Amino acid sequence: MSPNNMARIKRFTPLQRIFHVLLMAAFLAQGATGLARMYIETPWGKKLSWVFGGYESALTIHKYVGIFMVCGFLLHVLYLVAAIDWRRFPSSLFGPDSLLPHGRDIKHFFLHFGWFLGINKAPQFDRWGYWEKFDYWAVFWGMVIMGSTGLLLAYPLAASRLMPGWGLNVAFWIHRIEAILAMAHVFLIHFFIAHLRRHNFPMDRAMFEGSADLDDTRHERPSWIARLDKAGTLDSVLVPEAKVYRRVLFYLLGYTAVALGFFLLIGGLVNSPYITW
Amino acid sequence: MNRFICSTTSALGIIAALLLFPEITYSAEEVASALRRYKEREVSTGYYEEYEVLPRHQRPMVGVPGVQRGIFPYSPSAARVRIRTRLADSHQGIKFYKRRRCEDCHVKETKDIHTIRANLTCRQCHGGEPIASIEHYYSSMNPIRRHAAVCSKCHEGASASFASYVVHTPNPAMAATKKTFPVLFYAFWIMVGVAVGTFVVFLPHTALWGIRELFAAKEKTTSEPKQHG
Ligand code: HEC
Ligand code: HEC
Ligand code: HEC
Repeated sequence: MSPNNMARIKRFTPLQRIFHVLLMAAFLAQGATGLARMYIETPWGKKLSWVFGGYESALTIHKYVGIFMVCGFLLHVLYLVAAIDWRRFPSSLFGPDSLLPHGRDIKHFFLHFGWFLGINKAPQFDRWGYWEKFDYWAVFWGMVIMGSTGLLLAYPLAASRLMPGWGLNVAFWIHRIEAILAMAHVFLIHFFIAHLRRHNFPMDRAMFEGSADLDDTRHERPSWIARLDKAGTLDSVLVPEAKVYRRVLFYLLGYTAVALGFFLLIGGLVNSPYITW
Repeated sequence: MNRFICSTTSALGIIAALLLFPEITYSAEEVASALRRYKEREVSTGYYEEYEVLPRHQRPMVGVPGVQRGIFPYSPSAARVRIRTRLADSHQGIKFYKRRRCEDCHVKETKDIHTIRANLTCRQCHGGEPIASIEHYYSSMNPIRRHAAVCSKCHEGASASFASYVVHTPNPAMAATKKTFPVLFYAFWIMVGVAVGTFVVFLPHTALWGIRELFAAKEKTTSEPKQHG
């Protein structure tokens, strides 16, 4: 963690970071407005919905933010098409810089487990760990599921022209369970991995700052650094640490999200027996 | 003499009037959505009280032909053996009906979103007395006209397809739903399976990882003093 210059390695582009921050904000807004409605029978839910101007305006916000997310998702798909290395096309998809799942991710998963239990050495991760790929695809498919069921529920009359009206009953429950899954995963597992495990404590700034500490990365993702070393491109991806005020901002951003997430998670769990499911 | 005729006719008239006078309706206060009622005037969650109305008396002069209710009710056991799904008055012959609230008897039907969240009263959909069975041919709830007669009161442009939405959604987790609404049942359990699968893998994974790293920090500092640009 030495503050000398060029001690960090570039990991995310500004565009990727902007998308992550927007996704974060939209996800929390959807979580809060959605839970406000789901828990409207409890005092907790009423207070939560008060923040958004009541039960009905919570839905209005939920719908607009949802449409915003769907647009963001479509833009992301366009971005993917542009970001793919078309010149080395099929093989680039399976390279170490790609987020597509690969056979070695499964191997790494088991090796990692072995390391937790002290059976073997830690696996040599490359740029993306299997848990990061899982996070990415979980959000990807989550967006498809939440977006499609959400649009059906937001426009029930139009939707019942495309499918029988009882499809809305099904869409409603899929939307609800996927939402609970997504929130529990992000607020428990994603937050733990990015903030609370010792390696990253108090916070992994990579997604906000765009870069990760080189020493830490060398330790956690040796294959990636070795690959860059071998190609002689390591120096070109090194950057200095962000200014103090920006780092403060990143921590504020990260911890606001964690606080809100835990608030929703705990409130949701504690009050879950008191709502009509 | 005149006076005698006069007083007898008026007495008879009063008796006739009393006999023929429509029953007093206990027409309980029918609260439209509380949500809507207060919404215009107050900035708040819009949630106040949740109460349902007493079932009203039979409306005067509007009866079901051939069905007498109230004075000589059928016995409760007779009521039970009737097939009620096609009656013009589904509560025909049920004792103490009019003094009780819908949710006293239909507990399962109070758990839908329209009731618990949108604060609709049962009667906003099921209408006044008599409440016809869903499948009764002239029932406004009959699927052939439900969309036009009921849903489109609030959902402008509701189609027959829209009205096939199951308002009183059965509990998707229950085995009984497998028969009545299989798509919902399977969708529910598949989603629950995905969620449980994720947590069964990732909760222990993440917990073990956290514990392991508590002991891994030393290893990190010793292997680190490498040079870098
Ligand atoms: C005294 C108990 C009682 C009360 C109060 C009561 N019901 Fe019923 N209701 C019954 C019974 C019993 C049946 C017949 C059930 C069956 O056939 O399964 C029935 C049948 C119905 C049906 C027809 C069901 C079908 O299968 O078509 C509807 C609709 C209905 N009730 C609505 C209401 C509404 C709305 C209220 C409140 C205004 C209400 N009930 C109040 C006992 C009651
Ligand atoms: C949004 C309109 C709506 C409201 C509000 C509503 N119902 Fe229904 N009800 C229906 C429809 C539509 C059906 C036909 C079956 C279905 O879709 O679930 C039905 C069916 C029923 C049945 C027949 C049995 C069954 O479950 O299918 C009963 C009993 C009943 N409702 C009682 C009630 C009671 C009691 C309330 C108030 C707590 C109520 N309903 C509120 C629309 C409504
Ligand atoms: C008295 C007005 C009223 C009637 C009649 C009514 N609804 Fe509704 N309905 C509402 C309200 C209000 C909501 C919003 C509930 C909420 O936001 O929690 C709603 C919500 C819904 C939704 C959920 C839409 C979504 O986006 O999730 C469906 C589906 C629906 N109604 C179907 C029906 C059907 C089918 C009928 C006819 C049997 C019906 N409604 C009759 C007032 C009504």
